[in-house]
Amino acid sequence: MFATSPKLRVRSPSPTTVEFTVTTAPRKILARQVVTWSTVLLRLLACSSAVLLILLKYYPSQAFTLSTHVHTYIHPLLQYISALATRISWRCLLPCVIASLYIAIFAPGYTEESLLVIRDLGVQISTTTWGGRRSRFIPTSAVRDLWIHEGFCGFGVRFYLAVVVEGEEGVVVVFPTLLPNRRILELVWRGAKGCLYEPRRVGR
Amino acid sequence: MPYNIAMTSDFFYPQPGGVESHIYQLATKLRDRGHKVIIITHSYQTRHGVRYLTNGLKVYYVPFFVIYRESTFPTVFSFFPIFRNIIIRENIEIVHGHASMSSLCHEAILHARTMGLRTCFTDHSLFGFSDAGSILANKLLKFTLSDVDHVICVSHTCKENTVLRAALDPSMVSVIPNAVVAENFRPDPNAASKTHITIVVISRLFYNKGTDLLVAAIPRICELHPSVHFIIAGSGPKAIDLEQMLEKHMLQDRVSMLGPVRHEEVRDVMVRGHIYLHPSLTEAFGTVLVEAASCGLYVVCTRVGGIPEVLPSHMTVFARPEEDDLVNATSRAIKEIRMGRVRTDKFHEQVKSMYSWTDVAERTERVYEGICRGERVGLMERLKRYYGCGVWAGKLFVLCVVVDYLIWVLLEFLFPGSNIDVARGWPQKAARIGEGSARRDRSRRREEVLVEEENVRS
Repeated sequence: MFATSPKLRVRSPSPTTVEFTVTTAPRKILARQVVTWSTVLLRLLACSSAVLLILLKYYPSQAFTLSTHVHTYIHPLLQYISALATRISWRCLLPCVIASLYIAIFAPGYTEESLLVIRDLGVQISTTTWGGRRSRFIPTSAVRDLWIHEGFCGFGVRFYLAVVVEGEEGVVVVFPTLLPNRRILELVWRGAKGCLYEPRRVGR
Repeated sequence: MPYNIAMTSDFFYPQPGGVESHIYQLATKLRDRGHKVIIITHSYQTRHGVRYLTNGLKVYYVPFFVIYRESTFPTVFSFFPIFRNIIIRENIEIVHGHASMSSLCHEAILHARTMGLRTCFTDHSLFGFSDAGSILANKLLKFTLSDVDHVICVSHTCKENTVLRAALDPSMVSVIPNAVVAENFRPDPNAASKTHITIVVISRLFYNKGTDLLVAAIPRICELHPSVHFIIAGSGPKAIDLEQMLEKHMLQDRVSMLGPVRHEEVRDVMVRGHIYLHPSLTEAFGTVLVEAASCGLYVVCTRVGGIPEVLPSHMTVFARPEEDDLVNATSRAIKEIRMGRVRTDKFHEQVKSMYSWTDVAERTERVYEGICRGERVGLMERLKRYYGCGVWAGKLFVLCVVVDYLIWVLLEFLFPGSNIDVARGWPQKAARIGEGSARRDRSRRREEVLVEEENVRS
């Protein structure tokens, strides 16, 4: 919801630390706040109306007892929902409600994925979505290489940046959900390699 | 002018075979000449995704469903999105399909035409006209080839066959034979036995390779010539028949079966023999004959398909594809070898001057130049071509093409080409154009000879 195309942000607080963040969130703080809160609001609205629909379907008589307690503005709305609930059969209603609940809860807001490189310590890969934050740390001793390669993904071929980890069969893909374009990946790859392996600090 | 070329076929390494090595060698030589070449094939058990071979050749192993002998299931449209993505990201101008049994190749050519690219098709095999499978395959071939820019065949027989099967205009079909890497097939005069004559057979043991003929002929040859030994390499469903024959006639000490051999080991097997026996029932070109002659073996082969075009007559003894004649021809060859009348030691140099991949690449490049100069055809013109394919088939083909076109429009809308990341090319050396001039003269001479041959044939 309200996601923009992936953009790269680079922070380098110290000469031996670089953080690359790829995000779909708007760049401006205000815009980001607005987007965040409006998505939360929309999600809440969708969830509550779905639950209400189920409730009114289950106890059709409750609509009136409920309506006496709430404000008169909501009264027509409530009646409308109740009428809707009586008209639609369970068989139709239940999947719709489950689907809308699922979308409301699990639809991605913006996604933010980052690669934090700290020299002599390791790299940390993290993914932040609406569902929460997952991250993984790989110590420098276990990092064998970083590379950019291509792979089949859905209906096409995409570039990905991967960390080759000592003693593991597969590779660890950096930015696995966003899979940003080649230009961004090349910048990250150069910067990360520079930070990890170059003898002197390479600025980025 | 360098082109960006996509070779498409179901058949590629890691699976060994003639088509596979043809694609690999041709792609390598075209790259040496400054073109950009990628290969699109379906995924194999051990290999999928995007791979680079050691010389930087890029191969897309597209995940697909395999039905029979490494051919993919013909789904017609399902390949289009991935194919379009690859074509755009690699900036492809020419799509070159290989092998008529490969549905991936046919689909690729159809989609490439829909996208307005130049297409070329190489046919590597001969087909019949009468059985149900061939009729179906021929219909499919006609479908793809009714709208292709140019067709390349590996021999004149193959050309004749393809022209008839797909109802093509012969002027848009060229003949460019296969070649061998002569350096990999050097003779070794000391490897062969001095006391007895060894006959080598290297082929996949299938019906069409004439294994049944071999089963019938070996006991008779062994009876006639007590000092002849056989080496048979290769595997296949007919291997069991050979084993049974060996047990029945108790020839285990004279016929050794090596089982499957890797392509790079073929030479080591070949140099152990004096005569190469090739009993194939159908063959479009027969690269293995060239390899055998290059190793200094005298070749006994059946006169079928494109085989008579492959080698000059002093290197071969021909037989009709039947038991008696094969035994006779082999006996003649054994006699000639015994009397020392064949100069097998000179074969290698002669083959080397006749066949080279650089030459094949140059001629293929000329085909590319030709198709890039041609006019582009619009959708209506294409539909007309397809409609002329047959009463029912024509309508079906037109429907397919229209659907394909609509899918393309949809794809352009859903996944715009501008969103697709363009891949970087492999860093290449500058094209070596000047180097091949001497060779080009020679190849031109040979082309003239071929043109003459063609005139004689027609």
